[in-house]
Amino acid sequence: MSSAWSWIKVYLLAACLLLPVTVQAQVSVTDSLGTHEFAERPERIVALNWAVTENLVELGVAPVAIADVEGYRTWVVQPQLPQGIADVGLRDEPNIERLASLQPDVIIIGTQQLGLKDKLEQVAPVLYFDNYRADHSNPEAVEGTFRELARLLDREDLAEQKLAERDRRLQELATQLQGHFPEGLPEVAVIRFTDVNHVRVYGRNSLVLAAMQALGLEAALPQPVTTWGQTQKTLTELVAVDDGILLYIQPFAQEDRLAQHPLWQRFPFVQQDRIGSLPPVWTYGGPLSIQYLGEALATTLLERDW
Amino acid sequence: MKRRYLGVLLLLPLTWVLHLQLETSLAVTEQWQLLMTRELSSFADFQFFYSSLPRAVIALLVGAALGLAGSLLQQLLQNPLVSPMTLGASSGAWLGLLVMTLVWPAAAAAYGTWGAFAGALASSLLVGLIAGREGLSGLPVVLAGMAVNLLLGALATALILLNDQYARNLFIWGAGNLAQSDWSQVQALATRLLILPLILLLALRPLALMRLGQTAAQARGLNLLPVFALIFLAALWLTASSVMAVGLIGFIGLLTPNLVRLLGCRRAGEELLFSVLLGAWLLLITDALAIFFSQQLPNLVPSGAATALIGAPALIWLVRKRMQMSSGGHYTLPGRELQLPLYRLLLLLGVLLVCVVISLMLAPSEQGWVFAWPQDLVLSLRWPRLVAALAAGGILAVAGVLLQRLIRNPLASPDIMGLSAGATLALVVSVIFLGGSLRDYGPQVAFIGCLLVMFLLLLLGRRHQYAPGILALMGIALAAVLDAVIQFTLARGGDEVRQLLGWLSGSTYRIQGQDALWMLAGGLVIGLLTWVGRRSLVLITIGDAFALARGLNINLARVSLLLLVALSTALVTALMGPVAFVGLLAPHLASLLGARQLHQQLLVGALAGAAILIFSDWLGRVLLYPQQLPAGLIASVLGGSYFIWLLTRRRLT
Repeated sequence: MSSAWSWIKVYLLAACLLLPVTVQAQVSVTDSLGTHEFAERPERIVALNWAVTENLVELGVAPVAIADVEGYRTWVVQPQLPQGIADVGLRDEPNIERLASLQPDVIIIGTQQLGLKDKLEQVAPVLYFDNYRADHSNPEAVEGTFRELARLLDREDLAEQKLAERDRRLQELATQLQGHFPEGLPEVAVIRFTDVNHVRVYGRNSLVLAAMQALGLEAALPQPVTTWGQTQKTLTELVAVDDGILLYIQPFAQEDRLAQHPLWQRFPFVQQDRIGSLPPVWTYGGPLSIQYLGEALATTLLERDW
Repeated sequence: MKRRYLGVLLLLPLTWVLHLQLETSLAVTEQWQLLMTRELSSFADFQFFYSSLPRAVIALLVGAALGLAGSLLQQLLQNPLVSPMTLGASSGAWLGLLVMTLVWPAAAAAYGTWGAFAGALASSLLVGLIAGREGLSGLPVVLAGMAVNLLLGALATALILLNDQYARNLFIWGAGNLAQSDWSQVQALATRLLILPLILLLALRPLALMRLGQTAAQARGLNLLPVFALIFLAALWLTASSVMAVGLIGFIGLLTPNLVRLLGCRRAGEELLFSVLLGAWLLLITDALAIFFSQQLPNLVPSGAATALIGAPALIWLVRKRMQMSSGGHYTLPGRELQLPLYRLLLLLGVLLVCVVISLMLAPSEQGWVFAWPQDLVLSLRWPRLVAALAAGGILAVAGVLLQRLIRNPLASPDIMGLSAGATLALVVSVIFLGGSLRDYGPQVAFIGCLLVMFLLLLLGRRHQYAPGILALMGIALAAVLDAVIQFTLARGGDEVRQLLGWLSGSTYRIQGQDALWMLAGGLVIGLLTWVGRRSLVLITIGDAFALARGLNINLARVSLLLLVALSTALVTALMGPVAFVGLLAPHLASLLGARQLHQQLLVGALAGAAILIFSDWLGRVLLYPQQLPAGLIASVLGGSYFIWLLTRRRLT
């Protein structure tokens, strides 16, 4: 009798101990499709797009697997991806069987993978963040996503801290820039080359413009709002940069070929040496990409007299 | 004749000057001064001299080269339907160049033309081997070219898919891009085209003699083979040079010589010379339009896409105006086997079973290869793909058998006739202009696309009694329009297009269990309907007169059976994307195995088609694990290679 009773006490005690834990662990997250409840905080996370990957790494949580590790290391670069993350193939068609074998608690996707949602849900709960749209502000949307992910991971303080640090850092760089250009900041155009004759110009609704605004820089080649905040242009249209500074984002494989072009050498910004390149930085990432973009811009601009 | 020359000599410089005005802020007088003095000061001067001017020159050169190449080929083969594009030479050159750019980027700039030339040579030789000597002057060469184009296109897509971010940039170029920023391309192209006048002179007499017919030409002492080879290589060189310079520009080579003849050129030399002039003018005006629309629209319009959008309708118009193609001809089954022994059927069933088993059970994993019954979750991922591949293979095989017999041509198939392209085009256009993702638009949209193509085919084909030639050319035109629309979208550079690209290769990747079951059910219905229509099909296969004598309403039967083909294609395309070659290959395999009667060919073809697609799907999953290749792409490569091997062996022995 007494032994049975003592067992019951043990059970009760255990239940009392566990109860608050389970209650506390319950977490709700709102993605672009609605609110999702998680009974337990997910630990094994798979991120199928690079913006989500970036956010997770920023929050100090290494995903179990991402899509296209090599691509991330070439195009996104910052924040650095920790070692030992599994690769589940390309972003458009990740290998779902491999993904399943990793037994994730949650899979996080972007627009590129929306068509796969039903399939992925067979493996684990799916969160979908529709960050880039023409009918909303992309910089605000990516910040919202970042905060939601922080909530999911119980890192909300860290997230706020990172965002505040970002704003402080951008403010600091803005002041430095003002010191560097006492007669007023120059106008800047940021582009990516697709080949020697075509470029993508970053315009309204891009993270690039958000970074530029935070630094107090005006666009030398203003572009309308688009889904990804970019517009395709031919090389010669760059002449409209006028007195501004042209900055192109690395990597660009044909730099040497471009340098030899007689027309390229004649662009006012090339002749007057108002051109520079930014280190690889992701233009379709999360809110801290705005910081990296700002840092890349400021570092390049502060490097010398223009 | 005088009016002709006056017209082109007036139009060409006028258009050239007009083209020059599009991108410059300089007045014409300033431009003239610049040309005379060469004293460049402002950026506008440089822009004019290093961008506008070379672009206008390269348009002239490429147009002239393609026009000449087309005219040479058409006169050589005495076939108004051949051109660098329809012979597969352009896509061969493009693939050669793409391979070189990706594998050996350092050498691509210097030796790219040789890569392109090798590609063009290999692909057009293949087309020639498939079509055979007699086929060169008729429709078979066009169908063979289409098949090779599909195969090479699949390979190019595979390369681009696997090279993700980097290769995206190659698209603008692939779409035919004339933008210049110095004179280097012009110089390089001009050097390569130095042989152009020489070709004109050398080819004159042989081509004039060729008009008398091969025998007559030989009788006049013309040693055909070396001359033939020389002119052929020259045409390929022109093609490769222009692909190297500006990427893929279709239609100019096909349309120009036909227009030239329409204008009344009759003699060989005149035709060549006029093709040079008219080709140059055509590309110039198209490129001017491309520049104009690029300026008006928020996005770039690649010149190659513009050429296709203008060229495709022009081709159809031309065909309707000029071509006389009989509906005669009879359907001959390939292969020598006359009987289908039971053991062969059992063997095929065995192969299918093996494919099913490995598709379900054999896969690589982190720990190496695993051969085991999959867990429930993995099984639920694998079976929809398996069922979809099975159903799609079967349906396409049936569609292929129907189509080949209906138009009595063993080289016909839904993809070559443009039915897949129609379905794809409907879906792609919906996604681009109405937004949303591919999944939002189901088989209904694809079916509408297929029906529209069918309707066009029937409308245009009626006058020619549904001659295979018309149908094939429609297919080519539609495929080109599809390419143009896709390339226009790709040049826009958003991420959504890559999803399209994966789907465009025919993938079971996105198939859900429900879709797969729908497809299977659809396949059964199609099989049943085919069974109902089998008698009419047998009669039509034998010949219209015979069928009429047996009291068959030929038109009704033909239209119903064609609708069935459209339905089959739409069902598969909507769920899997365009899957090439299975519809062509499966009926052939069946008849090679000895299944010569209709019901045998349908059954064996369906089994073979299913086996091919299941195996391709499995191979695509395991070949580059964890990356995957679409089943349709593997099927294209496997099927295309086997098909080509088969046909070449038959020719050679």
